Amino acid sequence: MGPIDIELLKKIVGPENVRDNIADRYVYGADASVHEATPHVIVRPTNTEQVQEVMRYANREKIPVVPRGAGSGMCGQVTPIMGGIVLDMKGMNRILEINVKDGYCRVEPGVVDDDLNRALKPYGVFYPPTPASSLIATIGGEIANNASGTRSVKYGAARDALLALKVVLANGECLSLGATTRVAASGYPLERLIVGSEGTLAVIVEATLRFVPIPKYRCLGISNFNRLSDAGDAISDIMASGCQPSMLELVDKVAITAVNKAEKLGLPDVEAILLFEADGMAKESIDPEIEKIKSICEKHGGFGVEYSYDEKERARIFAGRSKLFPSLSKFDDRLASTSLADDMAVPFSKMAEAAGKIHEIAAKYGIVMTAYGHCGAGCIHTKILMDTDKNFQWEAAEKAVAEIYDYVCSVGGTTSAEHGIGLSKAPAFKKEKEAALELMRGIKRVFDPNNILNPGKLMDAPDRWLVATPLRYQIVE
Amino acid sequence: MNSCIRCGYCYEHCPVFKSTKWEIDSPRGKLILLYGLLSGELEPSDYIANKIFECFHCGRCQKACASGVPTLEVFDAARADLIDAGFNVVGTTSQTNHDICARCLNCVRMCKHEARSFVDGKIITDRLKCRSCGSCLDICSEKGITIGTGYGTNPDELSSKIKKFLNNPENPDAKAIVFMCGWSSYPGFQASVYDKFEISREYEILVTACSGRLKSQTVLESFEEGAWGVLICCCPENECDHGGSARVKARMKYLTDFFEKMDIEKNRIQIAEIPQGNPKLFTDTATKFIKEIGSLGPAFERVGKC
Repeated sequence: MGPIDIELLKKIVGPENVRDNIADRYVYGADASVHEATPHVIVRPTNTEQVQEVMRYANREKIPVVPRGAGSGMCGQVTPIMGGIVLDMKGMNRILEINVKDGYCRVEPGVVDDDLNRALKPYGVFYPPTPASSLIATIGGEIANNASGTRSVKYGAARDALLALKVVLANGECLSLGATTRVAASGYPLERLIVGSEGTLAVIVEATLRFVPIPKYRCLGISNFNRLSDAGDAISDIMASGCQPSMLELVDKVAITAVNKAEKLGLPDVEAILLFEADGMAKESIDPEIEKIKSICEKHGGFGVEYSYDEKERARIFAGRSKLFPSLSKFDDRLASTSLADDMAVPFSKMAEAAGKIHEIAAKYGIVMTAYGHCGAGCIHTKILMDTDKNFQWEAAEKAVAEIYDYVCSVGGTTSAEHGIGLSKAPAFKKEKEAALELMRGIKRVFDPNNILNPGKLMDAPDRWLVATPLRYQIVE
Repeated sequence: MNSCIRCGYCYEHCPVFKSTKWEIDSPRGKLILLYGLLSGELEPSDYIANKIFECFHCGRCQKACASGVPTLEVFDAARADLIDAGFNVVGTTSQTNHDICARCLNCVRMCKHEARSFVDGKIITDRLKCRSCGSCLDICSEKGITIGTGYGTNPDELSSKIKKFLNNPENPDAKAIVFMCGWSSYPGFQASVYDKFEISREYEILVTACSGRLKSQTVLESFEEGAWGVLICCCPENECDHGGSARVKARMKYLTDFFEKMDIEKNRIQIAEIPQGNPKLFTDTATKFIKEIGSLGPAFERVGKC
């Protein structure tokens, strides 16, 4: 890579859409992960033609390009470890079409999830993936990472809501992939290949998404458990019972303590809380599901079970979960919350065992870990709470993470349920997908022969996340 | 600083970020800059110092931060350090043009934050005390006070947005301007653009920083450009830190009295007190207002082009 022609980039996207001073570059080198690296320049295109021109230039000069949405990813997906251009897609933020008759909407990649749902609401429909970060997360970022959220148990992830994509390849060519119809049988589903590719294959410039009707009724319930393993058994039973909850969330003791400290919600001092929701167009179809879930919870020692259709009551019941992720920083003032090994998935029947195993491994290495998440989808979220100033804590975290992933793989689980791989989960990902890595590299070469699109990620990421980039924390000992 | 998990949820609450969508303008961006300065990865510069001083002090980032990062405290401490280090940047603080200033000292007397003082024949701004509310701009009859970077809140920026919204041939439904105090009822602007957003077709929301900063002239300009009505949302008087709610009310009373004398419906200009964190009250108020002025019809036919 030679020097970057900033003046040319300014001509392409306008001088107001290029930032190359060190302060902006430093900010755009960070995301919600533990990693940091500094790009050479930030370019904010406002239309497809500009993206094409930037890519043609970058491909010619072999300059790395890292597409970026809100920068809310937690694993270093947008960390520009080889410098180059950060393509800030927030400048392409238009909702292009809402076609209710044919059941799809078309959006540019910088549209924010919550904004899209605000626009869809008058039509009685919603775009379901909705991760917890939906207030800032962009649709492009959600597709690139195959994001999902609390309701993925019923409505699926970004992949399930995607019909078609318009992408710009590394050489600047613009392609339409997929179809706006609900069914498209033949050929390789290339649009789906882009989902979860974390910006390594192409730049998304337009997405056609399906939506689903907003259910008329939602009923949200809560059950407390004195033993985490009981909650895990309840989850497994609920999912095997034929119920189709729209949400099934586990919150463990560490998380409960953190939320109580941060939000003063007065959640009960128990080992686990299970939140469950069923939705639909008629209460007659929801009531039996809720009753069934309630009885399964009680069978496994669940107590203090309550549920409600009322919006305010539901907000009260859910308050703890909605504030959980940022509240973890308040668990202990000396410990910072880090996103490492944070979203593995395991089979339902292993949920309880996995949650217990996480606490066991954390204790072994002298760190604190939570276990919460969208257990109805098999997803366990964890966060490592540790003294980030201390080098030995990082070394312990690296060992703990590796051991947890070895366990997850051994029970048939997978590295990432919804956050993506980036840098910090790449070692586990590479281990899990070892047999397919060469095939993935081959696909990458077809799309991006000069390896300019988000290089050094997924299968090509460094073998140790701990030294892949400088860490965002100041380590003093 | 480590308690910031860099989730970025503060983006949604920051009027400065919403105005530019550059991440450096967000609270997270500012915190990352400070981290860079503390760790030595960044050298302090005028550009960085200015970014730290660009803030309307609305405090929404701090209130919304479940990680409990005391952003206001952190930014204030950083500003003090930057001043100590000799950075002569102004950010969003108000500055006096000494060639125009008549030394009437009205701005000194009215500033609730005691940020302005008369020293050696000149009015100077204490950049640590200034809350960027813009009240002093409003009180200066000589236009001797400015906020250099207004992020859409300066009078000329408001005027241009009013013109753009009310004269957009693709939106025949445009009929009202809603001036919004940046502290009270900030509505969580969409970061995305959709030309059929129901909320945005009939009225445009313009953030004025403190509503007390809103000039009568800007309100009249809205009517001149074809507005059927103007709604001003401010903090409840006892909650306004800048004394702006009382001032805007007095100023609009004068305007509506004038409207009445001219046989123009006075309810074309309305003021609503909306406490912070009550978006529903805002939506309900705006919906009711639009319905009301919708039944009145265009003001234009009555007033004519001024």
